[in-house]
Amino acid sequence: MPFTAKSGKFNAKINTVAVGTGDAAITLGGENVFPFYTFDDAIENAPKVGIEITDGGMESEPECVQKLYEGCTTVVDMAKKAVTFEGVDFLSIRLEGGDPNGKNRPTEELIQIVKEVADAVDVPLVVCGCKNVEKDSELLDKAAAALEGKNAMILAAKEENYKTVGASAGLAYKQVVGAESAVDINLAKQLNVLLTQLGVDSKTIVMNAGTAAVGYGFDYVISTLDRVKAAALSQGDTTLQMPIVTPVASETWTVKESTASEEDMPEWGDLEERGIDMEVETAAAVLAAGSDAVILKHPESVRTIKAMITELI
Amino acid sequence: MALKGLDIFKLSPKKNCKECGSPTCMAFSMKVAQGSVSIDKCPYFSEDAKASLNEATAPPMKTIKVGAGDHEYSLGGETVLFRHEKTFVSRTRYAVTVCSCMDDAAIDAKLEEIKSVDYERIGERMFTEMIYVNYAAAAGKEKYLELVKKAAALDRVLILGCDDPDVAAEALALVKDGKPILNGANASNYEAMNKVAADAKVTLGVSGSDINELYDTLAALEKLGNKNLVFDCGVNSVKEAYQIAVQFRKAAIKDSNRTCGYPSIVRLDRLSGGDKHLQAALLSLFTMKYGSIIVVDQMTYAEANPVYGLRQNLFTDPQKPMKVEPGIYPLNGADENSVCLTTVDFALTYFLVSGELERSGVPCNLIINDAGGLSVLTSWAAGKFSAGTIAKFFEEQQIESKVKSRKLVIPGKVAVLKGELEAKLPGWEIIIAPREAVQLVKFMKEL
Amino acid sequence: MTLFDIIYSGNDELFARADKAINDAIAQYGEDKAVAFPDTAYSLPCYYGVTGQKVGNLGELKAALANVKETLMGRKPRLNDVFNSGIASALCAEFLEALKYLDGATPYELPRYGHLSDAMIRELGVPLVTGDIPGVAAIIGTAPTAQDAVDLVKSYQAQGILVTLTGGVIDQCESLGLKTGFNIRVIPLGDEMQSVIHVVSVAVRAALIFGNITPGDLPGLEKYTMDRVFAFVNAYGPLTDEIFAYGGGAIALGFPVITNEDRYRVPKSLIYQEDVSKFNATSLEARDIKLKITNIDIPVAFASAFEGEIIRRGDMQVEFDGSRVDCFELVHNKDASEVEDHKIELIGPDIDTFEVGSKHSIGYIVEVAGKSMQADFEPVFERKFHSYLNCIEGLMHTGQRDMIRIRISKDTFNAGFRVKHLGEVLYAKVKSEFAAVVDKCQVKIITDPEMCTKLRHELAIPMFDKRDERLTTLTDEGVDVYYSCIMCQAFSPSHVCVVTPERLGLCGAVSWLDAKATNELDPQGPCQVITKEKVIDERIGEYEDVNDAVRKFSQGALEDVSLYSIIEKPMTSCGCFECICGIEPLSNGVCIANREYAGMTPIGMTFSELASMTGGGVQTPGFMGHGKHFISSKKFMKAEGGIARIVWMPKDLKDQVAERLNETAKELYGIDNFVDMIADETVVTEDPEALLEFLTEKGHPALEMEPMM
Repeated sequence: MPFTAKSGKFNAKINTVAVGTGDAAITLGGENVFPFYTFDDAIENAPKVGIEITDGGMESEPECVQKLYEGCTTVVDMAKKAVTFEGVDFLSIRLEGGDPNGKNRPTEELIQIVKEVADAVDVPLVVCGCKNVEKDSELLDKAAAALEGKNAMILAAKEENYKTVGASAGLAYKQVVGAESAVDINLAKQLNVLLTQLGVDSKTIVMNAGTAAVGYGFDYVISTLDRVKAAALSQGDTTLQMPIVTPVASETWTVKESTASEEDMPEWGDLEERGIDMEVETAAAVLAAGSDAVILKHPESVRTIKAMITELI
Repeated sequence: MALKGLDIFKLSPKKNCKECGSPTCMAFSMKVAQGSVSIDKCPYFSEDAKASLNEATAPPMKTIKVGAGDHEYSLGGETVLFRHEKTFVSRTRYAVTVCSCMDDAAIDAKLEEIKSVDYERIGERMFTEMIYVNYAAAAGKEKYLELVKKAAALDRVLILGCDDPDVAAEALALVKDGKPILNGANASNYEAMNKVAADAKVTLGVSGSDINELYDTLAALEKLGNKNLVFDCGVNSVKEAYQIAVQFRKAAIKDSNRTCGYPSIVRLDRLSGGDKHLQAALLSLFTMKYGSIIVVDQMTYAEANPVYGLRQNLFTDPQKPMKVEPGIYPLNGADENSVCLTTVDFALTYFLVSGELERSGVPCNLIINDAGGLSVLTSWAAGKFSAGTIAKFFEEQQIESKVKSRKLVIPGKVAVLKGELEAKLPGWEIIIAPREAVQLVKFMKEL
Repeated sequence: MTLFDIIYSGNDELFARADKAINDAIAQYGEDKAVAFPDTAYSLPCYYGVTGQKVGNLGELKAALANVKETLMGRKPRLNDVFNSGIASALCAEFLEALKYLDGATPYELPRYGHLSDAMIRELGVPLVTGDIPGVAAIIGTAPTAQDAVDLVKSYQAQGILVTLTGGVIDQCESLGLKTGFNIRVIPLGDEMQSVIHVVSVAVRAALIFGNITPGDLPGLEKYTMDRVFAFVNAYGPLTDEIFAYGGGAIALGFPVITNEDRYRVPKSLIYQEDVSKFNATSLEARDIKLKITNIDIPVAFASAFEGEIIRRGDMQVEFDGSRVDCFELVHNKDASEVEDHKIELIGPDIDTFEVGSKHSIGYIVEVAGKSMQADFEPVFERKFHSYLNCIEGLMHTGQRDMIRIRISKDTFNAGFRVKHLGEVLYAKVKSEFAAVVDKCQVKIITDPEMCTKLRHELAIPMFDKRDERLTTLTDEGVDVYYSCIMCQAFSPSHVCVVTPERLGLCGAVSWLDAKATNELDPQGPCQVITKEKVIDERIGEYEDVNDAVRKFSQGALEDVSLYSIIEKPMTSCGCFECICGIEPLSNGVCIANREYAGMTPIGMTFSELASMTGGGVQTPGFMGHGKHFISSKKFMKAEGGIARIVWMPKDLKDQVAERLNETAKELYGIDNFVDMIADETVVTEDPEALLEFLTEKGHPALEMEPMM
């Protein structure tokens, strides 16, 4: 008697959201099953993998990443190189230099970089802010304007600045709007509702429902993503059916395991290996919990996660 | 559907005799319902009542115990598919592969590597708990038995990967007291293997050429009376292994298909194709989705740090936040003159705060209070992080004799404690930190 | 002449002008001559928005005018025709303006702008949507004096409101050297009245770009401009028929017209304000514009870091002490006409006349008005005063109602802090945190001791009494809706509290009024309305609508709950309940343990053991988490017979609830001193037999009641 499984296919499905334009455009979401459950139903759009660079260019990268960008001097050089790595579906530029508590780079300077990067590559673009909500209102508003017509993803509107970011990216310049909330299904839902009420088309919203490196409060990430997917699919909750995008690199490359030098932690061994494994293990876990796209830093991580997705889909 | 405590109580003797170890029948019934106590502890439940309750309370997925002594581990026994529904009970265990096909030097190096990863993280020992000892027929029986002995010396639970019943029996004769797993039953040898495993009283691992053959073989073994089983998700492809791991778990828990209700073994040593980073990614994937034992080619700190962290997060009680040990944590080479900061013992708070403090590079002493593992505002609201509890903690821990600095930074969210703290900790200058951890770097640099 | 006639006449006049101008242009250039505004993708934006049709050349423009005449220029004496004629007038003006741009002409020279580009609208649109630009003032005509004009413009500028100027007011501003320009958000459009169309064009394109309004969907367009574009018109008299016609169009789009010419009045739409210096206030009120408050005007710092500051006697300049003299704090809901926004009034001497270290009376009344304001919110605001005032550097506030104490430090006093600054803080915080319901707010501060005494006894105490009475008389039956609360779902993913007047949230912190206020202030927040129309079982308090809500908010984890039973479908518990009660079978009753109690209970489990079995949003018949206040509620396990089931409580908890619990027992069963019949840990800790003995001795009613199981 062969094994018979009940189908885990749902009537509801995750929204499909296109990012980018032309041949290189990608589509996120569309699935009506849990992550990688291809045995329940076909998954049309495999999760996507993005590579991240920052406005800081080579300087702000760890040594092991720098060496893969050898010869690059500007951010634009890096962008051109980044998109040639195996497995890259999209490019993300994080404007971390804008943080008023950090380098506090002026908005115009950063937007100039965004424009140059956009002109230099064809792949879909993601612009991430600097994590300071006030500066991000300005930065992301201007980035949305600068990228008009590119159908870029703007990460992200938060509860504190969703009106500015939503109105600019979602209404004025018709980009894809990221909605970022802090590992709580109800906050994620609330932000989606607020953005929709503002007039942003729910089919152009993607969520960043929270992220962390594995081992660092990742339990909350798992449960939030699990619950968001369950609500979206089994409860048919339309306010949670947005695809999920998870920036992984910005979390994993700052923890001890990825930064402590070999001199300080000789028993831990090779630093680059530690950085890559922290990144791929976190990425694999968020994908297993339901993320539709991840953003990574190390080209080897990108290749690996892409390979894993290919094996599973 | 699990029974409610009250339903069990109705069938209880209601004698409050305390012989079960619980003070009342009600308390006992609640514990049975929760699964923390077996109904057999009560001598007075009628047989009929027990039978009907056993049926109703039998878990959808069996708990299989392997290993012995300090190294006995429970596998399986899960009642839910997602951790937010109820705490996952049996941690994923990791095994590193050695094979009799390897040369001695390689074997020795591998065994050394297994020993090298052994550390503590938030009160839990992290190490490779199991060794998968693979039998290569071409290398001969003797070499395999030698390898089994060598591996056994590491004091880990062994998984004997061997589908030759005779060799398996001999290997088991050497190590069966350590309660290893014999992973080698398949459609063509299961009867013989069943006998070997049963004789040695060890758990039997089952594989199949596909999901249906695996299922049929499990059913056939159950028919032979063996319910001490684990199943191998196979080596055909990652996709198929994932399918088996997920569908069997779902079938067991949601559809009460008990034949699927056994722990799983995932063979990443065979599925990763020698790609160590892919293996790391899959390690994480199968920890998330239903691998009970995951077998890998290597487990160095690079793989271990993240995956043990993930496991620790995954297998916590969703209602009980993780705690770190209260005490003084000197950061960035702090000494007794460095500024002090204090916060709660909620693990997430600790990680966020210590991470940001480390990023600042400023030497400081982070004093973690005993606040019941709650976050700053929650513990404050619950009265577990107040001026009084902080002062008491300082006294108990004799902080004042351990550090000379008299500057204490408190979380911005409990700025309200400042005045009272100044009164309760005379001589200390109380400084208010920003409300969010991310603002700490700047704050510390300007302090 | 009626207002209708005037608008029709203005419209006819405009139509005639447009008709002639188009005909003249065709005569000169031919029908194929291109017509367009520069830098817009929306053709002639107003016409495109209203009809969905684009106009490309003079021939099409002529057809468009004919279409306007046919579809919008009805002449019956009814509102719809008037509004449509107003819109038709605006479209005629747009056509006239469009003709100016023929042949690539540049009819406007800075500082006059004329047509505004799409890029400008996108730039303005974002702050308009976010409220950073809280409104748009279209000023038209010529002010009585140039200074009046400049004052008005500056008043709007100070509020961040976008200003457009049309007509003589432009020259007036120029004559006094007022700077204008897009970047400072004062935009002169043009000298002719018809140039006002360029601000209408902004509103229409905002609707198309930001509101996703389909061109041609006139009702949708009108609704969007009404709901989302906070524009209004300030028209200086004398008003011509043409201006009245435009006014009709403005009103159709939801923009009120405020004028100093007292010829016609239409409530809420055409508003007469004789005093042009009050145009600003009248306009904001008419258009319901709320200004964001960005800073609090006080001479010392304001931050949560000062919340815990303690001011010792030696550092103290003055003290107000409600325990010695008459003091009070109060929020009072008033009619809008009684409240002047941001008015701060001091009645009595200021603190610079007080001796150092002296003690005085103070009373402050925060009077608020708002269309959605309700008296029930008063205590909700009031409870926040403590944390607002404590955020002031060098100020300490304790207590509430008429038992407050405030100390002000010497440093703070020396920095210039005076009593009115209390008002500034209260005003700014109430106005910004409760913007959803507070439209206007004023503060009265009384330091006159006699006034304080009088007001405390005649105003404040009666109000407090009334509120308390309202709380005690609120019953589950007396309200139409309950509220869900999911504040703690982060910890207990499937838990949902149903908060009713008689059953507060089990954390003890969320009463029905709190939940109600939370819902109104943050409609998307954790508290949602639950109707209770479809009763399933009155006895246990089960409702179809409540079940639906619980199912929804628990994401399907919970199917059904009862409000009043501990045995049948009891409400779930999160992790943060104040108390937990559980069945003690031998005595046929329940034991209650509070969080602070660490010892054993007669059930055989401690609080934390009980909690671990009951928490997490799982239904556990026989056990239930709840707030302390619920213990004396008439709805406490009503289905099982109510509070008479309580057989054991820790002593501490008993003391806390004794008074009210006795009252309820008296009322329900006529039992005096019921609390004395309840055992505690001083009598029995874990032996159910001993408990039974105690209860028998006391004649506890639970022993006589029907078996619970």
